[in-house]
Amino acid sequence: MSEHLRRYLGPGGPVDVLLPFHLDEVIDGWESLRVPMTREVPDAFARDEWAYLIGFLEGAKLRAVFEETFGTAIDGGEGSIALFRPVGSIAVWLPNNVSLLGPLTLILLSVTGARLRLKGGSSSEDLAAAFLAFARAHLDPNGALARHLDGAVRHEVFDRSDPRNAELAGEADLRIVFGSDEGVRAVDSLAHRPGSTTIAFRDRASEAWIASAAVDRELRRTLLSVFAVYGQAGCTSPRRVVLLGADRAAARSLAEELAGDWDALVRRPPAPHEASSAILGEQWARALGWDAVCASRHAAVFAAGTPDLERIDVPLGLSIVAATVEEALDSLPENIQTIGYALGEPITDGLVRRLASRGAARVVPLATMHHFGPVWDGIEFWRRCFVRMEVGR
Amino acid sequence: MSALLERAVFGPRDDATLLAEMNALTRRHREGCAPYRRMTEGFTGAGSLAELPFVHVGLFKRLALVTELDDVRPGRTLESSSTSGQGASRVRLDAASSALQAKSSRAILADFVGEARRPLLVLDSSASLRRRGGLSARIAAAMSLEPFADGMHFLLGAGADPASLHRERIVELAGEHDALLVYGFTWILWRAWAQGLGEDARRALAGKTVHFVHSGGWKKLEAEAVDRATFDAALLDGLGPDSRVIDYYGLVEQVGIVFPLCECGYRHAPVWAEVLVRDPFSSEVLEGEPGLLQLMNPLALGAPYHNVLTEDLGRLIAGDCPCGRGNRRFELIGRVPKAELRGCSNV
Repeated sequence: MSEHLRRYLGPGGPVDVLLPFHLDEVIDGWESLRVPMTREVPDAFARDEWAYLIGFLEGAKLRAVFEETFGTAIDGGEGSIALFRPVGSIAVWLPNNVSLLGPLTLILLSVTGARLRLKGGSSSEDLAAAFLAFARAHLDPNGALARHLDGAVRHEVFDRSDPRNAELAGEADLRIVFGSDEGVRAVDSLAHRPGSTTIAFRDRASEAWIASAAVDRELRRTLLSVFAVYGQAGCTSPRRVVLLGADRAAARSLAEELAGDWDALVRRPPAPHEASSAILGEQWARALGWDAVCASRHAAVFAAGTPDLERIDVPLGLSIVAATVEEALDSLPENIQTIGYALGEPITDGLVRRLASRGAARVVPLATMHHFGPVWDGIEFWRRCFVRMEVGR
Repeated sequence: MSALLERAVFGPRDDATLLAEMNALTRRHREGCAPYRRMTEGFTGAGSLAELPFVHVGLFKRLALVTELDDVRPGRTLESSSTSGQGASRVRLDAASSALQAKSSRAILADFVGEARRPLLVLDSSASLRRRGGLSARIAAAMSLEPFADGMHFLLGAGADPASLHRERIVELAGEHDALLVYGFTWILWRAWAQGLGEDARRALAGKTVHFVHSGGWKKLEAEAVDRATFDAALLDGLGPDSRVIDYYGLVEQVGIVFPLCECGYRHAPVWAEVLVRDPFSSEVLEGEPGLLQLMNPLALGAPYHNVLTEDLGRLIAGDCPCGRGNRRFELIGRVPKAELRGCSNV
């Protein structure tokens, strides 16, 4: 496969990115899938997951990953100050209950041009494999993307005791591990090449911080949309709502309004196990001292209370606490990842700094909590899929 | 506590008495268990069994629900087998409840296996008995058959591995007795007995009367495509004509109440228990339609596991059962199908 240069204007000057394919052709390949994706949803995917993927494959968004990392795309010229080339090979251990992360990781890493080996979870429905199969079935087999996927991307499923784990770890220049601390340690302890690196993504929790005065139907719609996709299972999904400048009665009102809005705004009938778990969540919350209310048809449960109450953990259960900023900061989980805010006014640098000091990796507007770019959990993982060669002038 | 325990196990229903006992029990647990009181805020009394507040079965995996009253003598904690990967249910037993529960399970099981005593062969390890503080669901189930046993014999080695079956002990017992009672979890019985018995033991058991009692569900065997007919046929192969396989359904959160499968394929509630089926989406009681099983009985005095909403699907069956047992009968359909919890890094 021939090599292609793309040039970007970064803050220090122009830089080149050397890829094993023509980037526009590969991105166009991904974008071309959006048409067949609107016609057919593989059984493995929920409709909202599939819709999210369709949006993610927009060419402009994939190009933006390059521009956020390297600078503004420019044509031609001389005098680049650095050349980036893909790290040789990347091994990825996907988690068992991964949802879209498999396909998202596959797409984002595919455009780096690195050789890619993905290990799917052995006890989960494997969305990465399902998506890869869909892509291979619908891409132009002679196109750049199909050729790249065939030649440089492998997806396998095996369990944690399989000797192929050692093989993956040993051959990779970069290991990306999604999993528990124990799982990450297990991969990191496998023999690997000197100079190769491991990037670990462990369980993280996110929260929505909302000013009481900013609550209206549109905000509730946004909150429900970011929550309903993953419920409590998504690392970027709010596991708790902090209602700032409010009392418990206001939190209870918001819980009731969200429960009332669910049918109209989410429009996804619950499965029986989801309904059962909402019943459980409602009882669990009440037992712990929360005020709890279920959405229609037990589709979800909303619990209102204060930050000192023990949390409930059911898939579609959202707790809402009335709190001051101080109380909210003091009760942040140690694995805080994203704060999605809707404050009715710009967030202050002071609050951003305080959230940073508590370990938050992202502080973003509420509606963009699930936006995946080249930085995850505060780690510039996508940039690390490239090796930088300095060019002296 | 329950006057109903003195009645014929599958005799005529007396819902008025059951309701009175359940109302009293609900008030008792509200008095002695603060989380339960918060969950059932506003309860003053129910006019029907369906109006009584239930506890979702999953709560016993997440909270220690116990009723602290002066007359409660706490005992061991009963733990479920935790096949779902979400942790075990924990139900604290107490002396008074245990006595009632033993009486209940004896009456129910006697109707299926008879009163005669015979050796009880347990497909478990004797080491399981010696756990401090806790009691596994398997051992509790085996112990419920003790009233019909003239000796208990644990047939598995340490770790309760089906491959560790003491076949020579089976040969000895079969040589000494014409009738045996065997208990095991469904999948263990399949692996250890149906698949691992060996020729010597099979020869020794030929023509003997063996009652197999099993519980714990079919989840593991479904993965191996073993259905009930295959399972029963494999166990009964070569045995005497009066041998039987009895599959019972029970929960640690309803200890003392078991629901053996009758000859007609249904499960019957004893007169001191009730079974309801609820729509998971509306909580409405369903008659004849599949829904979540709700089980209740007045035997749980030390913790509020007297009325639980399960995650099992069932359907009430109208009319009299040809097997002759009265009362509520139902068809157990299986667990609520669970989609995988999908997140992005919550592992």
